[in-house]
Amino acid sequence: MTEFVLALVLGLLFALGTFLVLRRDVVRVVWGVSIISQAANVYLVTMGLLDGSVPVLEGHGEGAGAVTDPLVQALVLTAIVIGFGTTAFALVLTYRVYEEHGTIDLLELGGETDGN
Amino acid sequence: MTPDLWVLLALVGLPFLGAAAVPLVYRILGERTAYFAALVALACLGLVGLLYGTEGAQSVDWVPALGIELRFYVDGLALLIATLASGVGVCILTYSGGYMHGEPGQPKYYATLLAFMGSMLGVALAADLITLFLFWELTSLTSFLLIGHYTTESSSQYAARKSMLITVAGGLFMLVGFVLLHAVSADALGSATWALAGEGSMLENAGAMREALESEGLFVVVLALLGIGAAAKSAQVPLHIWLPNAMEAPTPVSAFLHSATMVKAGVYLVGRMRPLFLPADAHPGSLELWTLGFAALGLLTMTVTAILAVAATDIKELLAYSTASHLGLIIAGFGFAGHLGAETGAFHILNHALFKATLFLVAGIVAHEAGTRKISELGGLREDLPITAGIAAIASLGMAGVPPFNGFYSKEFLFHAAWETGAASGGLYYLIPVVAVFGSVFTFLYSIRFLMLFFGEKPDELGHVHSPPVAMLAPPALLAALAAVVGIGGITGTFDVPLGPLEEFVGSVMHAVEPAGAEETSFHYYLPTTVTPWAIMSALTIAFGAALYPQYGRLHDGIRSLLRGPVRANWWYDTATEELNPTSTAVRDRVQNGLLRTYATWVAAAFAVLTFAGYVGASVDVPVPQEPATYLPLALTAVVLVASVTVFGDLSLRVATTVAGVLSVLALGIFAWAIFGLGLTPAELATQPPVVFVLALAAVAGIAVSRAPSHIAGVLTLSILGFMVAIFYILRDAPDLALTQLVVETLVLVIFLLVLDKLPAFYGGWDRGRMARDGVLSLAVGAVVTTTVLVTTAASPNEESVIARGLAEASYPEAGGNNIVNVILVDFRAFDTMGEIAVVSMAALSIVTLIALRERGETR
Repeated sequence: MTEFVLALVLGLLFALGTFLVLRRDVVRVVWGVSIISQAANVYLVTMGLLDGSVPVLEGHGEGAGAVTDPLVQALVLTAIVIGFGTTAFALVLTYRVYEEHGTIDLLELGGETDGN
Repeated sequence: MTPDLWVLLALVGLPFLGAAAVPLVYRILGERTAYFAALVALACLGLVGLLYGTEGAQSVDWVPALGIELRFYVDGLALLIATLASGVGVCILTYSGGYMHGEPGQPKYYATLLAFMGSMLGVALAADLITLFLFWELTSLTSFLLIGHYTTESSSQYAARKSMLITVAGGLFMLVGFVLLHAVSADALGSATWALAGEGSMLENAGAMREALESEGLFVVVLALLGIGAAAKSAQVPLHIWLPNAMEAPTPVSAFLHSATMVKAGVYLVGRMRPLFLPADAHPGSLELWTLGFAALGLLTMTVTAILAVAATDIKELLAYSTASHLGLIIAGFGFAGHLGAETGAFHILNHALFKATLFLVAGIVAHEAGTRKISELGGLREDLPITAGIAAIASLGMAGVPPFNGFYSKEFLFHAAWETGAASGGLYYLIPVVAVFGSVFTFLYSIRFLMLFFGEKPDELGHVHSPPVAMLAPPALLAALAAVVGIGGITGTFDVPLGPLEEFVGSVMHAVEPAGAEETSFHYYLPTTVTPWAIMSALTIAFGAALYPQYGRLHDGIRSLLRGPVRANWWYDTATEELNPTSTAVRDRVQNGLLRTYATWVAAAFAVLTFAGYVGASVDVPVPQEPATYLPLALTAVVLVASVTVFGDLSLRVATTVAGVLSVLALGIFAWAIFGLGLTPAELATQPPVVFVLALAAVAGIAVSRAPSHIAGVLTLSILGFMVAIFYILRDAPDLALTQLVVETLVLVIFLLVLDKLPAFYGGWDRGRMARDGVLSLAVGAVVTTTVLVTTAASPNEESVIARGLAEASYPEAGGNNIVNVILVDFRAFDTMGEIAVVSMAALSIVTLIALRERGETR
């Protein structure tokens, strides 16, 4: 049941992200990419074992039996950090694009003069 | 005696090692690298010599999981091709030392030529279908580089592309044939194998393979697929068109490609597969499918390309068409059932290599020294090039099939085989010997025309022709001498003093292409001493040829006037590629037009369509919860979502009030339905997992971002989304992720605010049409993602995965850590983390660079 809600919310987030990526404002494109990567991370975490415990063991490694999949978490952790790196880079690039070209309108940057 | 594995590996590996060393050697030796390369080829020839007298297979595991081996097999046929590749290789590389003097790109040239030779050795020796395919494609690849050696010439580019397109496409057909053979071998041998020859291979169980192929109904299919592969490589009609263009390559390459490598790969394949498809009891009258296919293909090619050779205006073009014609002769020979066919193919591979390599090298001398390759501008070269003229005489008379030169004997075998096949079936099948003679008349004509370049009067425009350097004269002289020896062997053979080792060797080649259990015959060749139909056929060929030769000019013009439009196979190729180029340009302009949204649109649409098509194709069931109670949180989420749209949307007050009113009623209705209809108590309602509400909030934040009226509003709502995701991680037992997410979200917010401060308040309006289109595309992507999540979460295992358990158990004993995620990051998968750190530092460096550039400006 939770999965059903999760599926709908992820679908919605991907749809919104796609919609934003298609906008002409560069900042919105960055938001779109950010939303899509967040949603992808959530999806990956969901793929781990659903009903386990926190993957932190007690004392000398007891209770290794019923933890959620730690590999997925390690993977997503890497993904979050790299996502941060790319977002920061994209933002600075946006800033530089504005400085060089005087616009953040993708249509103008792409050589198309009018909104149609 | 089985061959030594190390000799085989050294033989195939040496040319590639030599190729890798060429750039270094070139720095030291300069143009003398040619002789280094020739030494490598000589070493290979020596290694081939070590293999004489051995027979059998050796293998090393390559991809054991798929049963693929590096398997090599030595028998007469493999030895013949390997000897030719390395032996002619020595001559070609030595000759290149003289020919390539002062030419550009020499390191590339010698490295590729060595790799080309190595690939051909691989083709000759490989006995695993995948290994064979690999080397087969390597010959296509290296010949592409060699044909396109003069990279700036448009004709070279055209020729290289053409040969690549045709031979690689043919190779793919062959690959499908190989995969089918592999599949069928499971039925025939008990377990599927890729092994073509040697123990437990397809050839060893040819009978069972044939039966299995026939019972699966794949006999014709596999035969056709392999036939297309061989025909593309060996330039059989109508796929011969790449070969004449391949003369754009430097002449030594043409000589090599036409005589001992590349095109011989196709006839090698036909010879290799012959025992697999031809039953042991096949005889000239049994008209196997194999015979009908390959004899017809071969004779057609032999005739058509011989006629085209007569129409040639350039000496290399003439030789190129003649190669296709002689390859047709070999294929036709292998096509005929019985030992005569095997003799034709086996012997003519050798003879053709000897005279064709010689003639190309002669053509190279002529072009190099006379400065032209136009047939009409050349003549009387005998005065300036007396030795070359002698060499050319031996080789071209051999090519013409004039006794007692070497080509005569193998052509005699072809006539014999053709006659037997025609006579055995009678009627229309008598056309087979007739066509063989008809094609051979043209062969005679163009061979004599080539020879006449050296005789007759020398045109005045042709100035003084220099003598070639020794490096260019010795190789063709050696090859011509060998061709002469073969011819003399026939004369002595007539007097019962045969050339023993040669006959024995060709006999072993013949044995290799004969089906197991076929009648054992030893190989002998000699001049005809009695009047036989095939001797008459030879006499007729020469008589007609001699009678027609005075009319050569009229024939040449006549054929040229017929070659227009769709009659030419080239017309089809050119038309197809001419149409394709603008199409691909148009597609590029549409798909990649410099606008980000266009790229994103295509990627998103392709993702949605392909994934959806995959689900439909695999008819995946989408799990939808069946119990009505499960829809409760869903309905609530929907209400919250619509409410948020109302709140964030710029609707008028009246509309907003109406929507809010309707929603309130709806929400009350849902609760009433849950309590009275489903009988849930309010307490039970409250136990709905908090995850649902967090996700709903995240969704609301997402909607808010996309509707944000300003950059600041958008960034702040994007942060809400990020923090909701962090809470989701906490609820999903992932504290490390939550921690990271919180830190990253905070940092991103700060960077956004810093950057936004410098950006203009541009929000970019759109017309409704584009908005609607984007909306539809986004909804499609969202629907596909929803389906994917539903399908995959339903399929995820309920039990803990083996990997997860293994990591959890190893965490403390091996790494001394209790936090498994941390242990994975810094210990088990530390290299991944290092890569991650590298990415972040690179991003940081780029950012610093970009900011620093700000001071100077990019253009100044």
